[in-house]
Amino acid sequence: MSVKGLHKIIYPFAPDQSGAAAVLYELGGMIIICDAGGCAGNVCGFDEPRWLSTKSAIFSAGLRDMDAILGRDDLLIEKIKKASAKIDAKFVAVIGTPVPATIATDYKALRRMAEKRTGLPVITVDSNGVLWYDSGIEKTYLECFRRFIPEDNAKDIIPGSVGVIGVTPLDSDSLSTGKRITEALKTKGCGRVICYGAGGSLEDFADAGRMEKNIVVAASGLKAAVYLKERYGTPYECTDPLIADVRAGLPISTEELYGKNILVIHQQVRANALRKALREETGDINSPEITAATWFSMFDEIAEEGDFRIREESDFFDRVRDGNWDIIIADGSFRKAAGDFGGRFIELPHFAVSGHFADEESVRFYT
Amino acid sequence: MITEPYSISIRELNEAGADNIPPELVPATQLIYSSPATLAFNSPGATGFGVKRAGLAVPGSVMLLVAPGCCGRNTKLLSEIPGYEDRFFFLLMDESDIVNGDHLARVPEAVKEVVEYLDERPSAVMVCATCVDALLGTDWDRVCRKAETLSGVPVRPCYMYALTREGRKPPMVLVRKAIYSLLEPAKRDPRTVNIMGYFSPLTDDCELYDLLRQAGVKKINEISRCNDFEEYLGMSHANFNIILNHEARTAADDLAGRLGIPYLELTRLYQTDKIANQYSAFAGSIGAAFDDSEYRERAEKAVADFIEKHGSISIAVGEMLNANAFELALALVKYGFKVPEIYSNVSREDYVYIRHLSEISPETRLFTNLSPTMLFYDCSKADADLTLGKDAEYYHPDCPNVPWNEEKQPFGYSGVTRLFEKMTEALA
Repeated sequence: MSVKGLHKIIYPFAPDQSGAAAVLYELGGMIIICDAGGCAGNVCGFDEPRWLSTKSAIFSAGLRDMDAILGRDDLLIEKIKKASAKIDAKFVAVIGTPVPATIATDYKALRRMAEKRTGLPVITVDSNGVLWYDSGIEKTYLECFRRFIPEDNAKDIIPGSVGVIGVTPLDSDSLSTGKRITEALKTKGCGRVICYGAGGSLEDFADAGRMEKNIVVAASGLKAAVYLKERYGTPYECTDPLIADVRAGLPISTEELYGKNILVIHQQVRANALRKALREETGDINSPEITAATWFSMFDEIAEEGDFRIREESDFFDRVRDGNWDIIIADGSFRKAAGDFGGRFIELPHFAVSGHFADEESVRFYT
Repeated sequence: MITEPYSISIRELNEAGADNIPPELVPATQLIYSSPATLAFNSPGATGFGVKRAGLAVPGSVMLLVAPGCCGRNTKLLSEIPGYEDRFFFLLMDESDIVNGDHLARVPEAVKEVVEYLDERPSAVMVCATCVDALLGTDWDRVCRKAETLSGVPVRPCYMYALTREGRKPPMVLVRKAIYSLLEPAKRDPRTVNIMGYFSPLTDDCELYDLLRQAGVKKINEISRCNDFEEYLGMSHANFNIILNHEARTAADDLAGRLGIPYLELTRLYQTDKIANQYSAFAGSIGAAFDDSEYRERAEKAVADFIEKHGSISIAVGEMLNANAFELALALVKYGFKVPEIYSNVSREDYVYIRHLSEISPETRLFTNLSPTMLFYDCSKADADLTLGKDAEYYHPDCPNVPWNEEKQPFGYSGVTRLFEKMTEALA
């Protein structure tokens, strides 16, 4: 029995503050990572591949020990006010980290104070650095949809329009994933396509209640889609429009799939989509047998019996050892952790895990 | 709405004085722009030798990062550097740990499990702690003692407390103390010297090695050149320590107190006349005499050759490089170059250079990498033929650049020589 929380081989995944920043990065707001410096450094230098090519007003709050110990929220508000006077921002977002989580920062109060002092809409995301990226994405989508959709938005549905939820670099194969999804959907006859978090603007968020349909391409987007369905009646579907390309990139033939016991580890929507694609290929729902697993959000409504969530590194070791798998399809950084797994390991990159894209070299500042 | 980045001339900065540094240059008064230099400067686990990598300077050691997952995320990049594979381990906190500190009870067992997992017994386990424990007020000495007892290997804390960056003992000061904390009292050898301050060695051609040998020193230790833990322990025999980075003073004070090893301090400079003065004073203080003429001539020839070939060009200087940006700018101006812009944080200690710079280049403008207004920086308004520093390259992506941030550390005349060689290469 391993010590709880101990990782000996698998490195930590993208944290929730990176997920939050990823949704907001291109929306023209002033993004404040409520940290001492390290978390902003991780977001910009590692988890946000757009940082080198696309400027965004993303700042560290520059908290110091006495700011945290004395709970000097007023000083933070003053800093935000000063910066907002210099930067033409559409909104302000304050993203949480372990520091405010430890001192129990009152985000509601922070939001009210910041709105009063800056005159700008302010959103806060209570990420804490302990949870993984999907949690940050989920909270931020919900916050944006709640905050930026006008009350009367649903009156006028845009025919043929599709909203795509869950496209951020953390779940993408390249920086052009949003564009490729848009093209793929337009080819299928869709009209206006909005990829929230990848090229979508703040104005696009305001139109979210007018979409004819939503597509959820990552599990981190599911709760937002449910919210939009409940609030505006927008139907949604969990699918991966690029799964054919993903499948084509896997070095395994249809013949090699028959009779195999396969474990796919990714975020739930992609794992499901790949399972569906492979089954369609063989034309046999029972062959291969495919189990989907994830380290991240797992929703019962899109899970099959036997699918599982991995919470600890020791769970991973046990599941790999005891699963009787013939093939594991997962990010390459799990290969070493698979130890003496005797089957075939096929790499399926996941940026939120390894920090590497599938389709292009990951360019970042930290090298 | 402001659309210009904040900047100030060196003349104005000097007139304001060290006691009145403008608030725009003080990190605590503003949000911090995520520029490349800021990431390195403000984030103690970030680029180059942050706390995590620095803590592993002890040969044969491994690190257990005790933190929320976010603090270990970019460690993956460090693990890809040769020599760092299989040296990082993580004890990840959950949501209750960050409030009630339950993770601390798991640390000794986790250290033990890591030690047992490894094929080779590590020389030490460095426990890297982060902001959460800074706020919880964790007594890491106590936790590490328990872990040491249970695991049977030395366990030392490394404080990656970004929250204390502007405190009396910031993370990069304390990690320097941590990596020498395993040295034990030993018989002193008058012909042994330690060079401290960096986590990687001086360049092989650095004249300091030769000058020390001229003074009769037989063994020159640097932690990064120690091949194993035994060799590292040999640093305890040093007759004196040479500090090349002021952030090593606390470590040197600790060794002076615990092991009785005195120290003296040398500064990295790029003005050859000042380098000569410093070596002369150093030789006097240890009762020796140095002949540094050959090295000085070589450095000054490198400068002269560059000027002959390229003339008095304009050079923008950043802070993300192996130099003090102000001292380097001062040296360049003294050599006859123009320095239109400097991108740097500023501290009281920099005024010794700022004063001189204001006399000979008062219109040089200082931009702070920290300011949110750097979003508006427009390189087309600057007149630079060459940039020095990785941050300067970020602001002038199309200008020839010398990053000057290699891991092997430049120092003294050889540093000047190599810099001008690199500048020549960049303009070739």
